[in-house]
Amino acid sequence: MSLSFFSLSHVNRSLSDINAILGFAKLDPSDLKPFVQCLYFSEQLENDSVRILEIEESVLETLQAGKRVTIRGSPFQNAVLVTESTTYDLKEAETSNSMLMIPQLSLGRDLPESGNQEIGIRKVTSVVHNYYELRVIKPRLKNMHELLKMSQYRGRECEGDEFEGKKFTLSELQNLVQASDQEILSGLAKINACEIQGYWRLLDFEYEATVLYHIIQLCEERDWLLEGVNMEECCQVLMDLFPKEIIEHVIQKHSDDEGDNSKSDVVRLSEDKICRHYAELCLRNSGKFNLNDFLRAWQESVPHGMKTNLAQIEGKALIDRDSRPEVIWYYSVENLPEDVSDRFEALFEQRKKWSLEEITPYIRDLTDDKTDAGALLTKYARASVQNGQKMFTSRKTL
Amino acid sequence: MVQITIQIPGESGCCSEWAIIELQGALETRHPVPLSGKFIGDLHFTDKDTPVLIIGHHILQGKVVVLEKPLAVIVKAPDQQQSADLSTADDAHPKSKFKIKDTSYNIQAIIRRKILFKTRPKPIIAHVPKKL
Repeated sequence: MSLSFFSLSHVNRSLSDINAILGFAKLDPSDLKPFVQCLYFSEQLENDSVRILEIEESVLETLQAGKRVTIRGSPFQNAVLVTESTTYDLKEAETSNSMLMIPQLSLGRDLPESGNQEIGIRKVTSVVHNYYELRVIKPRLKNMHELLKMSQYRGRECEGDEFEGKKFTLSELQNLVQASDQEILSGLAKINACEIQGYWRLLDFEYEATVLYHIIQLCEERDWLLEGVNMEECCQVLMDLFPKEIIEHVIQKHSDDEGDNSKSDVVRLSEDKICRHYAELCLRNSGKFNLNDFLRAWQESVPHGMKTNLAQIEGKALIDRDSRPEVIWYYSVENLPEDVSDRFEALFEQRKKWSLEEITPYIRDLTDDKTDAGALLTKYARASVQNGQKMFTSRKTL
Repeated sequence: MVQITIQIPGESGCCSEWAIIELQGALETRHPVPLSGKFIGDLHFTDKDTPVLIIGHHILQGKVVVLEKPLAVIVKAPDQQQSADLSTADDAHPKSKFKIKDTSYNIQAIIRRKILFKTRPKPIIAHVPKKL
């Protein structure tokens, strides 16, 4: 539908013009408030340079506090808008309605009830038919992991050699990752990245194992496994072998108070994390492993006094209890897709049926306050009861 | 990747509040002429604060609606130098080959309410005087 109007271009619209029209419309001026707002298009219509963004109150408050928000584009995915802590998907919405943007428009209530008729000129600065909507999303961090894998840290002597890939500073990551700054930093912590001379790096697994091996040797020597690692002394002793920031990083990562940024002098190593590391060392390059052999080898490999149990390697390895002998193999949640439906596809490709206990460690990182593992399974998997146990299979028909 | 920053210009953190008049369909002139500066119509309010809009020989009744979420009117900020923190980060790491494009938008106004005219316009039947 369109409204046609005549091209009256003189600005001096008079009360008699207005009242003449009201007469034709059979409206009595006494039923109307006496202030009439005459609408004109502005001389400088800005239809193309103006954008309309629908924002949450919380984003507006951020802006009013003088902070900026940033749109991070991507050639492959929708642009996102980020505040300090949150990522929003940015989507264009179109409407067939015309939205006329008008400064200083009165919406009626503040107009006088009676008095002499008056005219106010109001200018439409732009006419828009589309606007951008925001929707909170989980940050897209998977490509950050991929980026950092390009140049893992293998030790001082390997730095600058011909195999070195691209390294990234935080500000470069902000340019490449569609997530808020806080989410980028917590994402870096989650993938155990370490800031080495201004660059965020992943430690090569073998290299990290060597560092940890030396730390544990020293711990056994000085009885620190029980009493906690004396950070300063430990760094002092090992500094000739490894950079200080890496020694600290590896100790923190394998301690009970990981993520606690207050750097204490004495740090206790976590039994679970150390045991998990040794399991990974065992399984990583060995394909399928006889379960009983593995359990024995694993227990023998960990430092004296530590006790292994299978709960420590949830999300790291799968066990086939139906095969004879029973086998275990390396299968880490870290290497699975970040996208939910891709994740389920990968999981069901690996294994047709999963019990709730088996699958939970592999989807736990996809859950949030609103969506728990059960809700994800309801949406992305098919449940059935087999031999009295609830099992989940793919929704896709093969 | 393109990064675009959006901010409220100035120090105060406040910006003017505008309103929207929303109409079904599009506004057209009889002849394809630029709309800039053209008269659109008269907006009245009844004594019960119902908005009445008269455009040409059409009359529309509307209502004032509070938007579910505020709208920000944003315009490109006048060209400016790349923000300082980005360029220093580049200087510190001259190896960086990633081009940083920096565009900036200012919030011109916030909109919280609109007048919505969603009914079909009713024609005004009359002898339209010589030139309206």
